[in-house]
Amino acid sequence: MELEALQGIDSEVKDLGAQIVVLTPELERYTRALHKKLNVTFDILTDLHLKIAEQFRLLYVLPDYLRELYTSVGNALDRFHDEPEFRLPMPARYVIDKRGIIRAAAVSADYTIRPEPSDTLNVLRALKTKARQVA
Amino acid sequence: MADLQSRLDEFKKAFESGAPPYNATQEAIETMHRATAELEAPGLANKALRVGDRAPQFRLFNQDHVEVDSADLLRQGPVVVSFFRGHW
Repeated sequence: MELEALQGIDSEVKDLGAQIVVLTPELERYTRALHKKLNVTFDILTDLHLKIAEQFRLLYVLPDYLRELYTSVGNALDRFHDEPEFRLPMPARYVIDKRGIIRAAAVSADYTIRPEPSDTLNVLRALKTKARQVA
Repeated sequence: MADLQSRLDEFKKAFESGAPPYNATQEAIETMHRATAELEAPGLANKALRVGDRAPQFRLFNQDHVEVDSADLLRQGPVVVSFFRGHW
């Protein structure tokens, strides 16, 4: 649902001179299939072994009992991610300005709560206004 | 189209009703609630990078095996980075 929501704002994001990228621990054969299936117009990048998620300090380890639950319903994280330690990124959406500074950060341990795409657009609009004032 | 959070809320309600197509057992739902509570408890989300921090740079492969460099993206303008745990 996060990806569909991002797709919904992608053309406006591009109009504002910005870009969306999605980072996932999933291996490329899965990102390729997902990209095709959802027909999204932004890149889905493989954050192999969660190296970047770790630098953003978003990692957590899936508790044993949840591992068993997911495995029992057919999810095989170790296969999708080449990730035997069952680590995952917390759901997060960041806006980074041209200088590389984080201007918006929405991080939630509860993956059923996500920031609204319209909030992200508002941040980008504000950045654009500010850039124009400086120029 | 309803906003993202109300669609997520609807999905959660449907999932937790135990009805098809998800047929979630009460036990599974309780397990997931426990995990969410445990994740929130240590304030994990508060440790993540926040507004004002410098974003780490990255060079990663996209779905077409083309390497994408965050520095190249930022030269063109702001970047929205979404961390997604997977399609499952």
